[in-house]
Amino acid sequence: MSTTLRIAAVLSLVSVVAWGQEQAKPAPVDAEGLEFFEKKIRPVLVDKCYSCHSADAKKLKAGLRLDTREGTLKGGESGSASVLPGDPDHSLLLKAIRYGKDDELKMPPKGDKLPPEVIADVEAWIRRGAPDPRGGGDSKAADLAKARRHWAFQPPKDPPLPAVKQKDWVKSPIDAFILATLEANGMKPSAGADRRTLIRRATLDLVGLPPTGEEIDAFIKDTSPDAWEKVVDRLLSSPLYGERWGRHWLDIARYSDTKGYVFQEERRYPYSYTYRDWVVRALNEDLPYDQFLVQQIAADRLPLGEDKRPLAAMGFLTLGRRFLNRLPDIIDDRLDVLCRGTMGLTVACARCHDHKFDPIPTKDYYSLYGVFASSIEPKEPPLIGMGQKTPANLEYETEVAKLQGEVTKYREKRHADILAALRQPKVVADYLMAAQEGKSLKNDEEIRSLAQKKDLIAFVLGRWKSFLDKAAKAKNPIFAEWQEKPVRETADRLAAQLAKADAADELKAVLSGPESPTAVALADLDKLYTRADRDKQRQLENKVEAFKASHPGAPQRAMAMEDGPLHEPHVLVRGNPNNLGEKVPRQFLSILSPEKREPFKEGSGRLELARMIASKDNPLTARVIVNRVWGHHFGGAIVRTPSDFGFRSDPPTHPELLDWLALRFVEQGWSLKKLHKLILATAAWQQRSDDVAAYKEKDPDNRLVWKCSRQRLDFEAMRDSFLAVSGQLDLTMGGRPVMLSENPTGKQKQQAETIINTVGDPTQETFSRRRSVYLFIDRQNLPGTFRNFDFASPDTHSPQRYTTTVPQQALFLMNSPFMVDQSRALGKRPEVAAAADAPGRVRALYRIVFGRDPSDEEIALGRRLLDQPPPPPVVWKPGPWHYGYGEVDEAAQKVASFTPLPHFTGRQWQGGPALPDPVAGWAYLNAQGGHAGNDLKHATIRRWVAPEDGAVTVSGTVSHKNKGGNGVRARLFSSRSGELASWTLKQLEAEMKIKSIDVKKDDTIDFVVDFRGEITDDEFVWAPVIQMKSSSAANGGQMIEWNAASQFAGPPPAPLTPLEKYAQTLMLTNEFFFLD
Amino acid sequence: MELTRRELLCRSGLGLGAFALADLMGQAWADDGAALNPLAPKRPHFAGKAKRMIHIFPNGGASHVDTFDPKPALETYAGKPLPTGNLKTERKTGAAYPSPFKFRRCGESGLEVSDAFPKVGELADHLCVVRSMYTEVPNHEPSLLMMNCGDIRFSRPSMGAWLTYGLGSENQNLPGFVVLCPGGYPIQESQNWQSSFLPGAYQGTFIDSQHTELPKLIEHIRSDSGSPKEQREQLDVLLELNRRHQEKRREEAALEARIQSFELAYRMQMDATDAFDVTREPQHVREMYGPGTQARQLMIARRLLERGVRFVQVWTGREQPWDNHSDLQPAISKLAKDSDQALGALIRDLKQRGMLEDTLVIWGGEFGRTPTVEGRAGKNAGRDHQSSGFSMWLAGGGVKRGHVQGATDEFGVHAIGDGKVHVHDLHATILHLMGFDHEKFTYRYAGRDFRLTDVHGRVVKEMIA
Repeated sequence: MSTTLRIAAVLSLVSVVAWGQEQAKPAPVDAEGLEFFEKKIRPVLVDKCYSCHSADAKKLKAGLRLDTREGTLKGGESGSASVLPGDPDHSLLLKAIRYGKDDELKMPPKGDKLPPEVIADVEAWIRRGAPDPRGGGDSKAADLAKARRHWAFQPPKDPPLPAVKQKDWVKSPIDAFILATLEANGMKPSAGADRRTLIRRATLDLVGLPPTGEEIDAFIKDTSPDAWEKVVDRLLSSPLYGERWGRHWLDIARYSDTKGYVFQEERRYPYSYTYRDWVVRALNEDLPYDQFLVQQIAADRLPLGEDKRPLAAMGFLTLGRRFLNRLPDIIDDRLDVLCRGTMGLTVACARCHDHKFDPIPTKDYYSLYGVFASSIEPKEPPLIGMGQKTPANLEYETEVAKLQGEVTKYREKRHADILAALRQPKVVADYLMAAQEGKSLKNDEEIRSLAQKKDLIAFVLGRWKSFLDKAAKAKNPIFAEWQEKPVRETADRLAAQLAKADAADELKAVLSGPESPTAVALADLDKLYTRADRDKQRQLENKVEAFKASHPGAPQRAMAMEDGPLHEPHVLVRGNPNNLGEKVPRQFLSILSPEKREPFKEGSGRLELARMIASKDNPLTARVIVNRVWGHHFGGAIVRTPSDFGFRSDPPTHPELLDWLALRFVEQGWSLKKLHKLILATAAWQQRSDDVAAYKEKDPDNRLVWKCSRQRLDFEAMRDSFLAVSGQLDLTMGGRPVMLSENPTGKQKQQAETIINTVGDPTQETFSRRRSVYLFIDRQNLPGTFRNFDFASPDTHSPQRYTTTVPQQALFLMNSPFMVDQSRALGKRPEVAAAADAPGRVRALYRIVFGRDPSDEEIALGRRLLDQPPPPPVVWKPGPWHYGYGEVDEAAQKVASFTPLPHFTGRQWQGGPALPDPVAGWAYLNAQGGHAGNDLKHATIRRWVAPEDGAVTVSGTVSHKNKGGNGVRARLFSSRSGELASWTLKQLEAEMKIKSIDVKKDDTIDFVVDFRGEITDDEFVWAPVIQMKSSSAANGGQMIEWNAASQFAGPPPAPLTPLEKYAQTLMLTNEFFFLD
Repeated sequence: MELTRRELLCRSGLGLGAFALADLMGQAWADDGAALNPLAPKRPHFAGKAKRMIHIFPNGGASHVDTFDPKPALETYAGKPLPTGNLKTERKTGAAYPSPFKFRRCGESGLEVSDAFPKVGELADHLCVVRSMYTEVPNHEPSLLMMNCGDIRFSRPSMGAWLTYGLGSENQNLPGFVVLCPGGYPIQESQNWQSSFLPGAYQGTFIDSQHTELPKLIEHIRSDSGSPKEQREQLDVLLELNRRHQEKRREEAALEARIQSFELAYRMQMDATDAFDVTREPQHVREMYGPGTQARQLMIARRLLERGVRFVQVWTGREQPWDNHSDLQPAISKLAKDSDQALGALIRDLKQRGMLEDTLVIWGGEFGRTPTVEGRAGKNAGRDHQSSGFSMWLAGGGVKRGHVQGATDEFGVHAIGDGKVHVHDLHATILHLMGFDHEKFTYRYAGRDFRLTDVHGRVVKEMIA
């Protein structure tokens, strides 16, 4: 196909779907017919005919092949055509399946007649002309040879640069390819964009943040010939580059900080972030892309030396969903991310059947499956940290050992208790009886069901059974009577004897000797466990895991893999792990291997696999990555299905250019930074983004690159840009993920709470100001904000982002506390505050937000908001909960004074902006608890005021956790009845349940905590729940509940000033959101 | 789906801007707006009988033999093992356990409903009860995924996501797919309403219907920092700035779409307030639904459907309230009582408003429960999970009325006979009622055309009126 023709084909594909949706290629002849074949005919042939009539048949029957088109048409030894297209009545195949008269051929044999609707389908198919996409030849080799001719499986060819007319436009060979195609279609490229547009485009593109006014000015003023190159070099050498482009790779790697749905185990991956940080660093260091891939697949097999950080690269494989720990699904996910991510091959289709479109047989799938089934994740992920241990590390180690100790302690205790129970005479007798009943049982399954019936432990019953068998054989006299008369009475008598303390040693040994059926080793404890035991142990283990996932002193570890016991793979027929098919070697894909394929030799073969993927001889790998990079720069890739280069992919808009880029990329040492530089230096990329009406009609998706497509900021660029212009962006790099917001819902909230509780920092903001790449990604319950802004689904590999426009986006921008915070901060920036008048403030804001000066009209428009009167102060009516400090009148047993804590940080109430406060000292209260004040006059008081009459129950727990100091005293007072309860706590937790406290409207219940004479480590947790049976006229008899934690509240934020509102408005504009 | 231009203007809340946009793009509105507004109304393959759908999900696995599938044979074997033996389910079950609930024939159809659901029973002539449902695995997680997303393990779009992808929504001021569940998430959590590889816009919007205050129901629906009037002034300036920006970029439809999204959001703030505020229902309607959370959330659901929301899913509560391994009789009595009146009211209410015929109502969870007892017989007895046979019911939306589809064996263990309905078949049938050929309703992803019904599914014609 000549270029012109191909372009014509492309242009006929006017599409209305968003860029991001993988599109179908042009319909082949009788697409419907082929689809009919795939859906209705092929499955029947495979299921009912292939076992005797295909290359895979054990013995080919009647010389008939139904697995190729040619064979199906030709027929077998009978000599007559099996299928005569268009003529069902003369097609032998149909005759056979119709099960005609007695003497005729009947297939499938032995009365296994096909259902009538299937026969009707076959007839309809033949009448239609028997459309059949299968190879015409008669061997798989021929299919493979044909497949190799598909452009993506051909090695890239170094194309000659095409001749063009408008030579002065061409700045780079890339431009020649673009221009040649445009000219062939009678089109011209757009003019170059101005410098302001270019630097904004380049900065957001490469580092994901807008340029500052100074950076823009410097570039505009720089008249040197390499001014542009300097800008690009500066951006590429910024560490912000790795954060921006690393995130693009994390989409490919379906990165998430959680495992997805799990039943009981801890959901967070404790070390997911080490993979994310490795990706960012690898990109910043411009690690050659081939090595970038090899490390992600097999860093464990490389000679690493001292620096073990590359081990973290294997998070690429391990950070997927865990499918409740079903291994075949986990491996399937890994194969999918590997093959689509690096080679644009949809291999996962071949899990259950040969790929319908691409040359990936099921055997190849299981060859790769074998590689991953031979690889395991070490139980304790390897350390990658460098350098000395910090105090935090040491604290972490002590604490982990302690938590681990709890698990061990529990196990030991349960072990002792269960064994003791198993040695109770009644229980022993139960086992004797059951063993007798199950004497003839052979397999474990039967023993299990007997044990279940008798409420016994199957494992122990099995042990009793073999113990008694042995005793019988040895004619052990202890059991003589029992064996003679195996009834309950004998069992009870024998059991009593065995259990006697003064029994003879042989007798005692039956229950406690090393051979005893009840002497189950600690290692086998799990087999004795009930569900409740397991749950309890799991709870304790989760505490360890949650601690590991959140403690700042946890050393860095890699989510690595290593070779395990080698797995010799079989095809799993139809993907069913219980249906073993043919054995296959661990080896690479046939389509990408030479004729003579060698099985992998080293261990699992993972390193060999990695090297074959990251090879210059692999026709896909370099093409796939240059296509992705091009797609990000231009807002549309050369192959618009960037993770599918197979037969159903979109053909490249510029095939020669794709090859040229792939070859230069490899030549230049697989350097991504050089590739960016190459692309950004082109006239093509530097075009304006304005539309040309005629072209828009002809090529609405700009596939021919007649302009640089206007791109909308994605979620990360948007959020990071807000933080940048508000001046609040926290550029800390790396480390554990941070929460998007601490005010999420559902499970998010529970998780956030564990994180807050374990790494409590009372001054922390209610949402993070770090770059978005560091946000906590929970694939199970991704917060709506991510979703609304088209963030990549962290479930599976994500080829591209969608770009949708929904009102929820606008709601976030208009109303979210995050945006309010950015607006406030932007309004308060010193450049704005320094301006003398309203026009000055508009100018300052324009410079920060857009990097340009406003027009007079824009200033006037700005004043429409700026000149409005300031909003009235908010009046806040607090609910039933009040937060303060005060003193107890010990003689009167009453709270004598209550002063509200005046300052709200967004998280807690305290004496002032800083702690300790000159008046209230350390006293503070938050949703979960607080801190005692510095003396008895400043005890911390959480107060509840009864909104009506009733009887109240107070419940919850109160605790103190810190090691230092002497703990706290917590007391409960009612204004009507005085002191209700008191606890002295040091590293203790107490249950609280106080019932039937009568209250009248406006009575108070006070939760008072004091320092016990020493103000050290006096943090406490106390978030009570109050339930009231109302006795008021309106609600008499109703139960009402108040929850101190969920109802914890501060005053609503002050309304935005006119200036802040204007600042927000500028950030919401299309000018800010779209890159020209 | 035949909306008049006027109706569209009202419901979409787009005003003339939408048509300016459509003209600007030189495209017909209904089918081509998807890229810019993924929830713009779209036409299905053919005119479906149902235009919107509500799925009431008794999560945990409601017992069929105590609700909609009477099994008198269990009385005969009461306390004795079933002659057919017990299924291997999650836990050990014992003898046959006849239902503690009485069944009675209801309506002209004589359809049998247990006295756990007297009000639903009164409407028997509207119901199409499927007694021959079956699914793959008697565990919650895979069965929840199967019922909601058509696959027991992989990440696949949920039915609501498919429907909003295929049909868009008729109200642009509200989410197109709303999930109500009081108190928190059910098991398997937001995967139950995921969009998976479909765009995020098609994911269900989860709403904790335990709350009554709007800001807790919908994220960012309220501004803390000013009145609606002030916000309007601010948005007017924004609109003006965007118009100026747009002047030189007229061809770019994405700019216009984003401009419109602020107007939609502004209106959503008002409309959502209205839609979720059940106190605006007249007294007699609130009395018809009765007291309690279930009644409130069903009233909200009806208000949403009435406003053009495409798909509403209503769960009983967080985790799995219907997972009655023990104390089955008191638990079912309470669960049924909490929802019975409101379910009956919902059907009556939809009928009174003329919405029942094009609203598909379905009630049913992930699986059923064993007819054999879990634990000890008596007051605390329970039943274990059972996936081989269970019941659900449908009403409205073009389903046959007063109809019983299929059957289980005499003890209620296995769905039997030609009328068996696998979850894939249910999905195929639902899609058919909504106007889709389930085999052609596909989405290309990862080299494959995916469907809600994977490679299975039969439209159960017998259930269709």
